[in-house]
Amino acid sequence: MEKRQDPTAGIPDRASPWHLPLAPVLLLAFSLLFFPSSQVFALQLITHPNTDIAEISRSTARAVFSMRRQVWPDGGAIRVFVFPDKHKLHKAFAKQLLGVFPHQLRRAWDRKVFSGTGQAPDTVQSEAEMIEMINKTPGAIGYISEDNRDESVQILQVE
Amino acid sequence: MNRYRFCKWSRRLVLLGWLLPPLATASSLFGDENLQIHGFLSQGYTHTSANSWLGDSSNGSWDFRELGLNASYRLTPQLQISGQLLSLTAGEMQDGSPSLDYGLLDYNFANFDNGNLGLRFGRVKTPIGLYNDTRDAAFTRPTNFLPQSIYFDKVRNLELSNDGFQIYGDLLTDWGDLLFQGGMGKPVTDENVEYAYLGNDWQGELSSDFFFLGRIIYELDAGRIRLSATIADGDLDFEPGPTDPFSKGTVSIQLRVLSFQYNAEAWHFTTEYMQEDVINRNLGAFRPDDSGGTAEGFYLQFAHDLFTDWEIIARYDVSYLNRDDRDGTKQEAGPFGIPAHNMFAKDWTLGLRWDITPAFMVRGEYHWVDGTAWLSARENNFFQTERHWQMFSLLASYRF
Repeated sequence: MEKRQDPTAGIPDRASPWHLPLAPVLLLAFSLLFFPSSQVFALQLITHPNTDIAEISRSTARAVFSMRRQVWPDGGAIRVFVFPDKHKLHKAFAKQLLGVFPHQLRRAWDRKVFSGTGQAPDTVQSEAEMIEMINKTPGAIGYISEDNRDESVQILQVE
Repeated sequence: MNRYRFCKWSRRLVLLGWLLPPLATASSLFGDENLQIHGFLSQGYTHTSANSWLGDSSNGSWDFRELGLNASYRLTPQLQISGQLLSLTAGEMQDGSPSLDYGLLDYNFANFDNGNLGLRFGRVKTPIGLYNDTRDAAFTRPTNFLPQSIYFDKVRNLELSNDGFQIYGDLLTDWGDLLFQGGMGKPVTDENVEYAYLGNDWQGELSSDFFFLGRIIYELDAGRIRLSATIADGDLDFEPGPTDPFSKGTVSIQLRVLSFQYNAEAWHFTTEYMQEDVINRNLGAFRPDDSGGTAEGFYLQFAHDLFTDWEIIARYDVSYLNRDDRDGTKQEAGPFGIPAHNMFAKDWTLGLRWDITPAFMVRGEYHWVDGTAWLSARENNFFQTERHWQMFSLLASYRF
């Protein structure tokens, strides 16, 4: 009678502690490397209600959020508000609305701040705080998810 | 630095670490949205197998420290004043005494639909390549030591900032952005500049004249691709002391840098190429007018982000002090007989960075170096340097 081939033949009975967890760890590593979690959110740019502008080009929006453009067409100061670098809305905003990676924005701000040629944006922690700050700061610009559409702030369309 | 001093310093750093976070919110504390305060603290440890780099490194050196504190204030929407105090400790080269890194007025006088123009006046950062503007903030540079082929640490101050003015402009187009800076300024000089260009700290003084400084950057997709060209051109004037071997003369310098960077989501490729003409004039028999030359350098660098908080980096960096004598044989055969390996340096670097929090970072790197071109004469006797050497560097940095 033919002996059935043991599918685990060749593998030591007691795998060394390095062998066992390797597969799941590698799988996790690869999934993190090649399938970065990129959730899609419907996002919108918002400004202080008195801002006299209804749409903005993507390149101007990039210049604003890179802290390169400092004034609105009417001469008022632009005040930029963002979520922290690792916030899911910030990542989605950078990629979807601006078409850049969050690390590009961080580098642009650092170049400004540590060479004396500009300032960093202000950071808020929640959408409620974002809406509050945009609402009370003349010249403010920021972003929220469309689910949190709020009548108190003005929506800015990206061309 | 002895153990006691190190302990004292590390205690101070820890203390500062506790005091500083509240400063990060200083603008809101002061209730003025036009004011921002930022800064950084970095402490390095350097160990070399031979030769000296930032202190007595072959025995392990803690003499590498960078402290910066800056403030900016928007006087009007288009007018900003800003300044940064910097304290650098770097072995025999920098003693940690605070200096004004930059202090300037920035007037962003014209804004168009597709760009803007402005003027900066005062002590401004010297725009060179991709990293020079913020080279002291460890977070903004890829490794603990920038590639020495282009960002010389042995004459750091000469590249750091300059007193003068700068016109800048951004042009936004559908096919990318053009960012331009150009101006005139006197680079800050110190004894390290004399060591680098005249071999010693002489009785007399080497001071800089006005340099022309210009850089243009092309960015596609807000920096996915970055291309840049830099030029810096000017004279250092030497006024000899009574016993100096040189006569009153000039060292003319022209620096040219080309840069390319590609930034993907999780990896970054960077390469830069540099040429620096050095022309000696009227310095006398010990520096004849034909004794200058063109230095050359380049590097290739590849960085990969792992799990968002880690970055691994590999680089090959090459420096030649004279492109007509890359292997240094002419120098060795010359009147002073300086060993050939002092004329070049080929540096393989492997580094790992960990951003423990957005404000706190640790980075370790290992260098395998062939040649000693970028070591300082201030820390090394060029007749006693070892050609093949290695360096390990560990740096912790905090920012706010």
